[in-house]
Order: sequence, then structure tokens, then C-alpha cells
Amino acid sequence: MAQTAAPALEWRGVTIGYRRPGEPELVAVDDVSLRVGRGETLGLAGESGCGKSTLAMSVLRLLPRSSRLDGEVLVHGEDVAAMSWGRLRTVRWTEAAIVFQGAMHSLNPVRTVRWQILEALELHADRGGSAQSRQARVAELLGMVDLPVARADAYPHELSGGQKQRVMIAMALACDPDVIIADEPTTALDVVVQAQVLDVLSTLVRERGLTLVMISHDLSVLAAVCERIVVMRHGKIVEQGPSDRILTAPEHEHTRELAAAFPVIGDPASRRVVGRVASRDALDAQRTEPTPQRPEPTAQRPEPVEGRSPDPADPPLLEVRDLVVDFRSRGRAVRAVDSVSLQCRRGEIVALVGQSGSGKTTLARSVLGLQRPTSGTVLHRGEPLPTDRAGLKAYRRAVQFVLQDPSASLNPKHTVYQAVAEGVQIHRLPGDEAEHVAEALRRAELNPPETFFGRLPQELSGGQRQRVVIAGALALQPTFLVADEPVASLDASVRGEVLALLLELQRDLDLGALVITHDLGLAWNIADRVVVMHQGRLVEEGSVEQVLLDPQHAYTQSLLRVVPSRLGSRR
Amino acid sequence: MTLAESTPALEEEQPRGSTLGRYLAWKGGGAAISLVMVVVLGFFAFRVLPGDPAINLTRGRRVSAAEVERLREELGLNDPLPLQFVSYLGDLLRGDLGVSYVYNRSVGALILEGLGPTVLLTGSAALISIVLGLWLGQKAGWARGSVFDKSQTGLALVFWSVPTFWLGLILLLVFSGGFGWFPSGGMVTAGTDLRGLALVLDVAHHLVLPVLTMVAVVYAQYLMVMRASVLEEMTSDYLTTARAKGLREDLVRTRHAVPNALLPTVTLIFLTIGGLVGGAVTVETVFSWPGLGYLTFQGLSAPDLPLLQGTFVVFSSIVIVMNFVAELVYRVLDPRLRSS
Repeated sequence: MAQTAAPALEWRGVTIGYRRPGEPELVAVDDVSLRVGRGETLGLAGESGCGKSTLAMSVLRLLPRSSRLDGEVLVHGEDVAAMSWGRLRTVRWTEAAIVFQGAMHSLNPVRTVRWQILEALELHADRGGSAQSRQARVAELLGMVDLPVARADAYPHELSGGQKQRVMIAMALACDPDVIIADEPTTALDVVVQAQVLDVLSTLVRERGLTLVMISHDLSVLAAVCERIVVMRHGKIVEQGPSDRILTAPEHEHTRELAAAFPVIGDPASRRVVGRVASRDALDAQRTEPTPQRPEPTAQRPEPVEGRSPDPADPPLLEVRDLVVDFRSRGRAVRAVDSVSLQCRRGEIVALVGQSGSGKTTLARSVLGLQRPTSGTVLHRGEPLPTDRAGLKAYRRAVQFVLQDPSASLNPKHTVYQAVAEGVQIHRLPGDEAEHVAEALRRAELNPPETFFGRLPQELSGGQRQRVVIAGALALQPTFLVADEPVASLDASVRGEVLALLLELQRDLDLGALVITHDLGLAWNIADRVVVMHQGRLVEEGSVEQVLLDPQHAYTQSLLRVVPSRLGSRR
Repeated sequence: MTLAESTPALEEEQPRGSTLGRYLAWKGGGAAISLVMVVVLGFFAFRVLPGDPAINLTRGRRVSAAEVERLREELGLNDPLPLQFVSYLGDLLRGDLGVSYVYNRSVGALILEGLGPTVLLTGSAALISIVLGLWLGQKAGWARGSVFDKSQTGLALVFWSVPTFWLGLILLLVFSGGFGWFPSGGMVTAGTDLRGLALVLDVAHHLVLPVLTMVAVVYAQYLMVMRASVLEEMTSDYLTTARAKGLREDLVRTRHAVPNALLPTVTLIFLTIGGLVGGAVTVETVFSWPGLGYLTFQGLSAPDLPLLQGTFVVFSSIVIVMNFVAELVYRVLDPRLRSS
């Protein structure tokens, strides 16, 4: 308050640990010092568990009781840790406010938007104003984030993800704070909505001269809004610098890993080359000699996998003809998939791209025989999808699927062996069961497989879990995979692992895949062909280069405009 | 990505009135069907009770076999079962629950007389145990693992596991027999003609021990459910939002955590109120409380078939109606249910 020259935020030698019963303390933030000047916009990047959220929460002393903080956290020169509770409560929201991930559960589900914004205003009512002026303020705040005033009387569940995020921003601005901390403000939002929310946020920050600290795992999102980016790993700052430099010329290996997860579309270096390539130099430096038993996987070679494109003259392995799926919702029919025709060939990776609600998941479910189409057919090797139990069972062995969230799709009580062997048992594959499981795990690069047999999902990393799911599919020796957002819930570094695995399987086993994603970067990374879906219809289809570099349909063009890596250039 | 996400979001809202109307009709219809089944069950269930009402009613008196037979004929016990059932249904439709064998009075009048005392007893007990249980439960949940939490949950569970009749008898022995602080039974002091405030105080005096017994036995379930519910909400992100806004910890609890934690508890409250009325049988019997429970107990010894059928239908209806009310209240409390 008194020291006007003090930076808006400053961390001095901050170490934050979490006490865990029966285990050594978990150090989330390890001796971090950082200054954020007034009016500066700073991005905090890193994977889950790197300490970026812990660091941000320490600003308002919002850490759980089990935490221990060493060092100083200064807000406008005042040490937060030394504040009395009363002083702290005054500082909260009036000097620094947080934009939480509103799309999730950061709004109270049983209170209206108005109630929740008014609460903040009434709490800090000493800033003046009558009940009437507070009501006017609510309207004004909603106007700032481009929401109609009528939405004030809505409950959170009546709002879309983007609207909830706007409410969070409006609420954070309620008491005119100087500092805004935005914690993953666009995670779980659609690319189009993400672009809108980022636009609202950065405009407000710029116009009001606010200090912004934004947290994200996505470097390109940060680069679109922030001047400076700080990259964290294992509680330490590994690299920091101006956004453009971090994005275009990252120095630290981990920064490069993060950057590779959001490839620049059109950049040949990231075409059919994924993840680990980015950190390949570092890997090579560590490795004294290559592992003798195993040939080095293709994905670790810098040159793109070539000659892998399937022959267009091949008869399609899977074909969808004029597929229509209607849902009845509140007595009305909703057409989720509208006359879609699609062909997938052996050994071909097709990316099905669209926003949430575009019907892409429904289409995939129909292809898997999980959703009965209203009309139209799905053909496998030229034959219509069987409808009897035995036929469907055989079909599902040939066409396996991989779901988005490996922690949800694996039974937490089943060991890796059980998870992978289940399919083998159901389909009564000939030969030794353990051999099948070991082979599948080896294929999914879980080596040596025997060491994974007895492990439970909770003992594995996110990437390992997803590879167990893929191994479960591979155990049945399928000819085709349907993968629904296979890497959306994974961190940047493991995203690369999983995508590299899909490319390898394509090369070694001639395994084709229909990959459903909202991420055009992923399509650029691994796909042969792209199919764009919008409001239940296929609006554009073609080779990756053709569709992503020279989009014809207006919707594809608009999708490409809001890809985070392009957002920065609009600034 | 879930299935729900794959359906395009609906832009227009359906008029809310029609959904509410359909919801009411649907739930009300379900309740009506349950009631019909209770009525049918109520008739047949008591026909399988052992004991011949005619013989039990004439026990201790010198009566000839012919007289017993005539009584049987009079009570309609000799008619074939289907015929008895039809006349039972017919009477029920006219609101006639028959005449009690034991009291020789209209069952409807008897039930009406007993309803007041029962509602008074169970209503007071329910109110106190719900308020006490919910309040202790949210405190205990919020301070999980504290001395308060451990002692309160421990104490509640001890009472919960004690048999109702035993606790009632102990309370009677100590506070009525030993200290003589409270009357040993009934609802009003016999032989007095109290009016106004004096009457209220007298009834309240009689009410203390039976209510205490009921509260002690049932408040634990409200405490445990509320505690679990608060624990569930405690890690919710919106509580972090509330703290970040600058709310005091007790306001975070009362304004944000508790309203959300109450939601699952409400259903339980209404479900148990129905059960509480049924549980009144034991307490009313121990304390000779002139309510429906006591009436049922009297009817069982004969067996007084019309009386038992009557109380059975009333008890069951209370449970069904309470379930119906629970559905409605839940809808009012949780905005998410209103629009779906």
C-alpha cells in the first residue's frame, strides 16, 4: 500500500511443501523467486504437478492446511504470510482476485450468478455503494464480459462452459483488483470458445492496466495473452523470457517438450514427428549406447515416416454410408449425426475434427456398434455391421477403441495384467494368455512387460495408463483403432509418447485409426487424412496438407483461425 | 467426451410449466399406485395373523359355541375372503374403515383421536432430532478428526445402537420412578380438568420423556448423513472461490458448503419422517401415549382386524406422502433438477 514502487507481486525464496501422513513431505514449489511488475502480464507454464497452481494460490494464502510455506510472498510489497486474518480477507478480491476454472465447479451450483457476484460486492461494501448501485454494478460487470444482464438470474448449470468462464472473470473484476490471477481459464473449453474467452480477458487486462498472472499447460495460449512466460518443472523455474522467444526458440528441453505439444500447423518439422523428437537431442546426450534388443522406434527419428500413406485404391476397411443418428431430448428429436459418409482404409490414420457437440463422438459410437443409427449403414470389409451378439463380438475384436481418460477407463481395482487379459479371455484367443498380454504390453512400449503385470492403475503415470489401455486393445490383434481424444487428458510430455506409439503401430502393424479430436495440431502431428465435422455434418474432407493448409469451407477456416498457436499472431 | 456432449446443446428452453406438470403427474401417479397396493396388502396381511378374533373377544366370558358362531357371522368373518375384500374396499371408498372389535367404535374416529397425539410426539421428536443432527453433523464434518467430531459421532452411534424400548424403560425408571420429575405415562394428568396454558404445560411435561427417547435413538442418522455430505463438499472448488473472495471461514461453511450438503440430506429426512411414525409404536406403548402406535399395539392382541387395517393404511400413507413431498422439496431446493 505504502510502497508504491513495489512490484505488484513478488515471491522471495518461496518453498511450499505438503505434509503427507506416513510419507516424506511433498515439495511442490522449490525456492522460487519471481517478480511481477505493475501492469505486467505473466504466464506460468508447466505440466500438472509442477507447482504452478500452488505458487499462484500462495498469493492469497489459499493453500490447504497441510501445506508449509517458507520465504516471502509480497502483494504490493506487503508480506501475505504475515498478514492478520482480517487484513488478509480485505486483501482477497480487492487487491488480487482469481479467475478459477469456471467451466468446472468453481461456481456454487445452488446460487444464481447475481447472488455470487453480489456476495463479493457486499463483502467489501466499505468501498461504498448502496444496494441499488451494487445491482447496477452486477449489470455493468456482466456487460464487460459480453454477457446479457438477464443471465444474472441463471444458475451455473444453465450456462455453457464459456459463459461460466465469463462469469468467473466478471466476478474477479467485481472489486476492482489490481492483480488478476487466472488459473487455467480456458482448459476444458472448446477452441472457438477459448479464443473468445481469451479475447475478453486480454482486452480487459489491457484496457484497465491490470497485472495478470495466467496459469496454463498450453504455451501458445499463454503467448496469446502474456508478455512474459515462466516455465516450471518439479517446483522450480526452468526457463523464463519474452513469450515470442519462449515459443519460437525455447532453450530448455522441457520448454521444447511443452511447445511440441502444440505444433505450428504447416511446420514440416512437426508433421508426423511427435513428442520425444523435441527432446531427442537431450535423450541422445543421456544415452551412451542404444538399447541393443530393440530397434529404435521411428518416432525418435527426426525424419518423417515416409511411404506410409495407404493406397487410395485399397478397398475401404471401414465405411460409413449416409449415417443418421437422432436423439430424443425433452420430447424433441435432435439430429446428432446428419447423413455422414466416410471411408477408412487399412493402415490409415484419419482425424475426425470438430467442436464439442459436433456429433463426432456419436459418429464414433455408431462405428463401434455402440449406438444404433437411425438410418444408414456402417460397413466393415464391405459387409454391413453385424447385429447379432456373436457377430458384434467378432467385429469388436477387429475394431478396438481407446477412450479419452485412461484413469476413468481402467478399473482401479484391476492390475495391468487383468486389464489387458480381459479381452483375451472374453474372445478366448488361442495360445498362452500371459504371452498375449506380454506381447501387447511390449507393443505398447511398457517394457519389460512382466514388471507391469501386478501394478494397479494408480501406481502408473498418465501416459503409462493410456498405454495400458492401448495394450488392452492391441492384445486382440485388431485391424483398426477408434480413439476418442486419446491425449486430451494427458500432459504435454506424455502426449508425445502416446502419439508416437500410434504412429509406430501404424508403421509396424499396418494398424489404421480413426482419431477423434478437437485439436487440429494433433491432426497435423499424426493423421493422413482429416475429416471436419460441424453440427452433425461432414463439411470438409481431404489429406492433412490439403485441409489444414488450404481450407475451403468457412467453418474449417474459422477453426484454424482460433488455433492457439495462431492467436498470438493476432495480438 | 461423453455421450451427453455429443448431442447438440438445446437452444430453446421448454416452457417450465409443462415439465413441472408432467413431473407432478408422474410422481403423483407413482404415489397413487403405491397407495392402492398398500390398501390391498393391508387387507390380506392381517388375515394371515394367527388367532381367532371371535374367540379372543369372548375370552373370560361364559359363552356358548353358538354365540361365538353368531359373533363370527356378525363380524363377517364367515364370508368367503373375496367377498370380505370387496366389502372392505367398498367401505374404504366411502371413507368407512369399519368398527373396531375391541373398542366397539368406528375405526375412523379412533384413528382421528390418535392422530393428534402421534403427530405431536413424532413431530416434536423429528424436529428436534433433525435440527440437532444436522447442526452437529455439519460441525463434525467441517472439523473432521477433531475432538468434537470424534466425541459427537461416537455418542450418537451409542444412542443409535440402543434398543428404543430399553432406553424408554431406563428413562422411566430413573426420571419418573427414581427422581419423580416426570409423569410415568399418558398425555395429560388423569382426573384434572386443565385448560389453556396449564393444559399445554401439562402435555409438554408428559411429552419430555417419550420425545427424549425418540430423539436419542434417531438423531444419529441425520448427524452421520450430514457429516458425510459436508465432507463430500469440503474439497469443492467453489469453496476455494468463496475463500478467495474474502469470506470468513464460518461464512464459507454456512453460506456455501451447508446449502449444498443439505441437498442429499433432504431426501433422507422425509424418508425417515415416515419411518419415525411407524417407530412410534414402541415409544407410545412404553409411555402409554394415546396415539396411533398405542392403538396398533392394542389392536394386535385381539387381533382387531379393522383397527389394524386402518392404522396400517394410515401409517403407509404417511410414508408415501412424505416420499412424494421429498421429491417436490428436492426440486425446489436444487435448481439443477428444476430445469431437467
